[in-house]
Order: sequence, then structure tokens, then C-alpha cells
Amino acid sequence: MAEQPGAHGRTGATSSPTAPASPTNEASTDASLNARVKTPHRRPWAWIAVAAVAVVAVVIGIIAIVNRPATQQAGRRDTVTIGLKLAPTNLDIRNQSGSALDQILIGNVYEGLVARDENNQVVPALAASWEESADGLTYTFHLNEGMSFSNGDELNADDVVWSIQELVGKQYHDASSLTNFGSITAVDPNTVELRLSAPNSNLLWTLAGRCGLVFDQDAEYDMKTEAIGSGPYLVSEFRANDSITLKANPNYWGEHRAATETVVVRYFTDDNAAVNALASGDVQVLAPISENLAGQFADDPDHYTVQAGDGTDKYVLAFNGAGEHTSDPRIRQAIRYAIDHEELIASRGGADAPLGGPIPSLDPGYEDLTDLYPHDVDKALELMAEAGYGPDNPLTLRLEYSNTYGTDLGDQLRSQLAQIGIDLQVEVVEFSTWLQDVYTNKDYDLSLVDHNESHDFYQWADPEYYYNYDNPEVQSLYAQALAATDDAARDDLLRQAARMVSEDAPADWLFNYRITTAWVNGVEGFPVNLNQTQLPLWNLAYESE
Amino acid sequence: MRFVLRRLLLFVVALLAISVAVFAMLRVLPGDVAAVMAGVNSPPERVAQLRAELGLDRPLAVQYLDWCANLLHGDLGASMLTGRSVSEQVGVRASITFPLITLGLLVALVIGIPLGCAATLARGHRARAAYRLVSIVGGAIPALWSGMLLILLFGRGVGLIGVLPSQGFPAAGWGAPVQALTSLVLPALSVGIIVGAGLMRYTRSALGELAASGYIEMAMSCGMTRTQAVRQVGLRLAMPQMVSVVGLTFAEMITGVMVIENLFALPGLGTGLVTDVGNRDLIAVQGELFMLAAFFLLIGLLVDLAHRALDPRLKASIGGNEVSA
Repeated sequence: MAEQPGAHGRTGATSSPTAPASPTNEASTDASLNARVKTPHRRPWAWIAVAAVAVVAVVIGIIAIVNRPATQQAGRRDTVTIGLKLAPTNLDIRNQSGSALDQILIGNVYEGLVARDENNQVVPALAASWEESADGLTYTFHLNEGMSFSNGDELNADDVVWSIQELVGKQYHDASSLTNFGSITAVDPNTVELRLSAPNSNLLWTLAGRCGLVFDQDAEYDMKTEAIGSGPYLVSEFRANDSITLKANPNYWGEHRAATETVVVRYFTDDNAAVNALASGDVQVLAPISENLAGQFADDPDHYTVQAGDGTDKYVLAFNGAGEHTSDPRIRQAIRYAIDHEELIASRGGADAPLGGPIPSLDPGYEDLTDLYPHDVDKALELMAEAGYGPDNPLTLRLEYSNTYGTDLGDQLRSQLAQIGIDLQVEVVEFSTWLQDVYTNKDYDLSLVDHNESHDFYQWADPEYYYNYDNPEVQSLYAQALAATDDAARDDLLRQAARMVSEDAPADWLFNYRITTAWVNGVEGFPVNLNQTQLPLWNLAYESE
Repeated sequence: MRFVLRRLLLFVVALLAISVAVFAMLRVLPGDVAAVMAGVNSPPERVAQLRAELGLDRPLAVQYLDWCANLLHGDLGASMLTGRSVSEQVGVRASITFPLITLGLLVALVIGIPLGCAATLARGHRARAAYRLVSIVGGAIPALWSGMLLILLFGRGVGLIGVLPSQGFPAAGWGAPVQALTSLVLPALSVGIIVGAGLMRYTRSALGELAASGYIEMAMSCGMTRTQAVRQVGLRLAMPQMVSVVGLTFAEMITGVMVIENLFALPGLGTGLVTDVGNRDLIAVQGELFMLAAFFLLIGLLVDLAHRALDPRLKASIGGNEVSA
């Protein structure tokens, strides 16, 4: 076969000359020759198909036997697997932003001076009690006795002082929220004194977050891949963007001793994969579960529990205060009147709560402001007409948001705003691009983001923030609220400021996202409220039936 | 020998060009890793501070040369975000993606080549039309859809015959070989069906060409039946062409299976690359793309070498110059 064939490898030369040597002609030799050739099975494919089916059946059978759910005895499990959504890329809670780290590390691995409970109130943690001076400038914290880190090192006032001095000195993440910080000193091994240059009514709350975390000053470890804290759990394995394995900390000092020896946290980017994991029993808890996919579990109350919890996630549709068109208050107000919040919420499954202003129900200063801008298309049309636009003469605006929120919201807003003569160009981009365009360069008309942080009203009092919202009255009210030494007075000032912000319509608050959590019956102690920003797991246990 | 040397030289030049291109492209993308680390609650000073810590404020040429210098020592650097070495990170992810592709390709070969042969041999309009329909439908199904369908059929806990795990990779990795393998069965099937349809088309057209060129008839006139001729002569002649197709398909699948990896929650190379690009983790992306490119080139090289080994006509040609058969 080594010879080069000619352009037409003529078969005619060797085959019977009587046959026309057309290449498409098949078995051109005469019938008797054909008949004498050893004819193999006429239909080998049929046999192959039968064999293949048989092999597949056997393989499936074997796999089914290997994979059959191990017959677990009823009783307390020593491993519980939970499914979450946003995965941390590293464990460096001092440098890396993102609530994924707060969620899994604070209260489980690292502990702060104080903590937050599931109603967003400050409760004791490393500090058993504290006093605030009458002028609101000095806080004295009395630490618990006999505390230690997971590596066995003692935890005392020196570690607390060192941690907070490092935070301020190196300006770690969130350090800027420790407003009016003056100094911190150790009075004795169990007492710490923190002084402020001016009152800060948010101080305790801030210390319950990243700012109050206490690290071991004598331990040397790579904070990106390891974590040494004083909490009930320690990180035994961490796979970036995939999973974290927590094991009970044998050196734990306090009352929140881990109820379950091992907790495996798996992160799912795909909502369907997450739901399949819960259905197949690979995870026992899923938070959040997409409300639209939760139905199959809600319909099966004998085996699953589905519950929505309160949170501080605010879906903020910001209007650029310095934008060419969005600086016109009539246009901003028109947009707020034109948005049908009920429709948005219903299409997401109906668990979310309407939100009329910048402060959600779990934060101080909350007030129901949803009646300020009720859904009113006629009013919106009027305002647009005043501004010189209408359905016949549409105004083109650009909405830029990150692809983590999906495309549905953009489509819905586009069609709702089309009714009042706004041609909304929706650009769904990567988060990094959004950070660059909107957050850093403030180059946008409309932006949508889920501001999930609690106590974040400062955004509206900072004219440099990407909203480009500058109202001196709001700034002054917020400053007074921070300086207030009485909680009731602070809440009242915040309430006034929030109302003022909402009236100015620098943004529309689409809804307060409420996290839906689903778990297998028998699971106890999984927090339902606020579980995307803090997820204390010490009480989590699974007793199978 | 000269041929191999020439290819190797080309290999090095291509790798250099790719590293410059990747580096330049990544700097053009908006946003950077410092901004991602700082998030939405940090003042601009914090971003600037992080940029300085990560060395992003140095001149571009210095950053590039720095990276190249490390590369010469075989060090792809450490990811800016995870702090782990890029080669280790790629290794972990490749230990999922490569077995997945290999299995998928096996499925594809088992489906594609016999069906391709059968399609060539089919007589009669109906049979031919049926095979064409199979290849078109198979090729037109989106991988995502076939994957979901397979999950609904076989996914444990959700499927009709729920026997196979439908998401995740065992925590022990290949330390638990049976679980690891079974967790790849459904993803490999969903990839394999689609790639198999493609291979079926290639097989049929390659064999069809050969049949038209007369080799088959020659073999038949020597006493083989048509079936024997296609299988023994046709397939062997089509081999070099098939090897290139399979090689390229393999390379394409590395990133092509990303959708499937996502659907089955497998932390593979494709998902890793997308996450790293999203985070603007430049060192990691650079390292990953560089390794992928090197791998692509390597496959190309292997395919060429395999070609020469499988097709004696290429060796026999004078002076080692390539001759188109």
C-alpha cells in the first residue's frame, strides 16, 4: 500500500472489466463471487449493541452496589456537611474582603472581643463584660479567664492590644470603620482599656466584626492558608474556592464547645448542583438555597425544613448623583415610582422583604419607608414629562452590574422602566470590571449591587462614595448619631437621616434579600438569620432518624 | 531528527510569544487584584497600599521580567490570592480535569468510531439518513442539557435510576479511587456523547473519502468484503487523520468541559481559570494559561510525531520533507 495512488485509483484494472468502475458502486464483482466469500454475520452491529447494553447494565449494577448509601445507624453523627455559595479564595481575614470569610471564620475559628447574636445585637465573647464611661470616650473590657488559642498559647490582654494596634497601624481591612480610635492599653492581664478621641456609638458593633478579632502574636503561620484562633473550631483543611473542613478545637476554653466533631463546608457556584447535593444527602444543610428551587424540599416536610431568615442584604439600585441625567431629581424619583417591587420579589420566589430606604429591619434606625415611593406609573410619567422625556421621546440610561446577580433583574428593570420612557441599556459585567467602572471611577448612570453589610449607613454620609450623594444635613445627622451616647437618641437620629436619604431618591432599594435555608430534618442549631455574614456553628448537630 | 529539532525550536518561540501576549492582555483588563481584595468598603488608600504590597505598582517590564526569571527556575510563582504555588494548584485541578477528559474521550471513541464506520457502510437511504440524524442531533445537544438530562436519569437522590453521584469530587480525591471514578462517570458521559457525535462525523467523512479514492475497492477486489475492507484497510488509512482530530479534541476539551465541571460541581481547570480571571489573580492566570499553552503545543508535537509513525509514506518521502498524502 506504499505506492502513491493516482488521482483516480482505478479499480477497473483488477476488478472484473464488465463492471462499470464507478467509485460509488459497491461490491462490483459478480454475485457468485460475492456469495462464495466467507460472509461474516450480516449484522454484527446488532450483537455489539446487545453486548454493550449488557455491559452497561452490569456496570450500573456494580456501581449501584458500591455506591449504595451506607446503612447509617440512627443517632448522633460526628460529621455534618453544609453547602454554602460564596467561597473564600484565601483565609487572610485581615486583608481579604468579602463576607465569605466573616461568615465561616468569625465565631468559629477566630473570636472577637464581643460578638453579634442572631438579632444583630452585641453579646459577650472574649470580653465577659464591659463598661462605657459617661462621656462615651473610654471603654473598659473585662476578659474571660483561662483563654487559649488552638495551638495552646495563652490568650490575654496583650494579644487583644497587639491585634488592635496591628489593625490600626497596618490599616488592615475594615480598619477605617474603627472611627475616632485613640489608643488601647492592657491594664492587667484580664482588662483592656480602649480610648476614643470622640464618641462612636457604633464602636461595640464594629468590634463584633473584623476589627475586634484577636490573633496570637506569638504564632507564625501563613494567614492565607491557615488559621490559628481561639474559637470552638480549627481549620483542618482548606481548598480555595471549593471546601473547608473544620474540626473541633481540642484546646477550646469557653462554653461554646463544638457539638459536632467535624463540619465540612462545601461551596457550590451552581444552584442546581447545590440542590442535587442536598437531595442526594451529600450535604445536610444548604444556605442559601435559591427560593425558586426550594419547592421540592418545602413540599416534603417529612424529610426537610425550609425557612427564610432575616438579613441585612440590601439590593441597591444606585443612581449616579453626578450623572448627566441622574443628577435630575425628577428622573430619579420617576424611576422609583416606576419600579414594581412586588413583581420583582414575586419573581424571585416571594421570600424577600420590600425595603424603602437605606436601613434594613435588623439595623438600628429602621423604619418602614416603603410608602414614600409607592408603585405609581402615572406619577412617574408626569415627572418624566416635566424632565422632558416620555415614551415617545425616551431617555437612554445605562445600568451596569456584576454577573453574580444573574440577568433576570436587569431584564425586569428594563421592561418596567420602558413603560415610562426610559431605554435602559443593561450591561452585566464581571465583578472586577464593576469595581473599576462604578466603584472606583464612578462612571455609570445606574448600578445594582447587594450591599450585605450591616450598619453601613456611613455610605450615605460620605460624599466620596460611589453614589456621589452629597447632602450636608444627612452628614450632620449621621455625625450626631455616631456621637450619641444614648442608643435611643442614636436610633432616632439615624431614622431621620434614613428618611431624608430615601426622600432624595439617590437610589432605589429593590428589596431586602432574605436568605432561604433548607436542611434535612434532624439537623439542629443551624442559624437562620444573618447566616451569610456570620455563621456560628458550635451548636450544629445532626441526629439521623 | 531535523524535524523534531525544528518543532522544538518553534515550541520555545511560541511559548515566549504566548507569555508576552498573556501578560499584555491581562493588564488591559479593567480592575486589578488589589481592588478585588479590598472590596466595596475600603477607601482608595487601602487599594493603593495593597497594590504596593503585591508589587503591582512597579513598571510592567520589571513585573514581566521578574516573572520570566522565576519561570527559568521552573517556578510559576504563587497565586496572589490563595498564596499557594500555581503549579501545585494546577496539579490539584488537573487531577480532576484530565481523568474527566480521558474518560470523556474514551466514551466518545467508543461511540464515534463504530457509528462512523456503520454510517459509511450503511446502504439504503433510510439507514444513511438515520445515521446522519444521530450525528446531527448528537452534535447539536448542548453539553449542559445532556448533563442535566443524565442527572435526572441517573443522579443519586434526584434521578429515576439514581445510582451515580451527580455533584462534587470526593474529599479524599484519588485516595478513594472508586468514589472518584464514579463521580466522573456522568460528567464523562455527557461530554463523551457530544464529542462522540463529532468524531462520528469525522470518521464517516474520512472513510467516505477513502472509499471514493479507490483503496477500498482495491481491497475488495483482492477478496475482502466491503465491511472487511472498510474496517481493515479504510480505518488504518484514516488513522493519521483521526489521530490529529482526537489530539486536538483532547486539547480543546481542557477548557471546553468547564460548563460540565460547573454543573457537576467539580473543581477542575476550567472553573479555576475563570475564577482566577474574575479575581484578576494575574500570577495565577499567567501560570495557568502558560501551562495550558505549553500543553496545547505539546499535543500538537505528539500528533505530528504520531502521524509520522502511523503513516510510513511520510518517512519514505525524501529528505524528511512533509508530503501531503
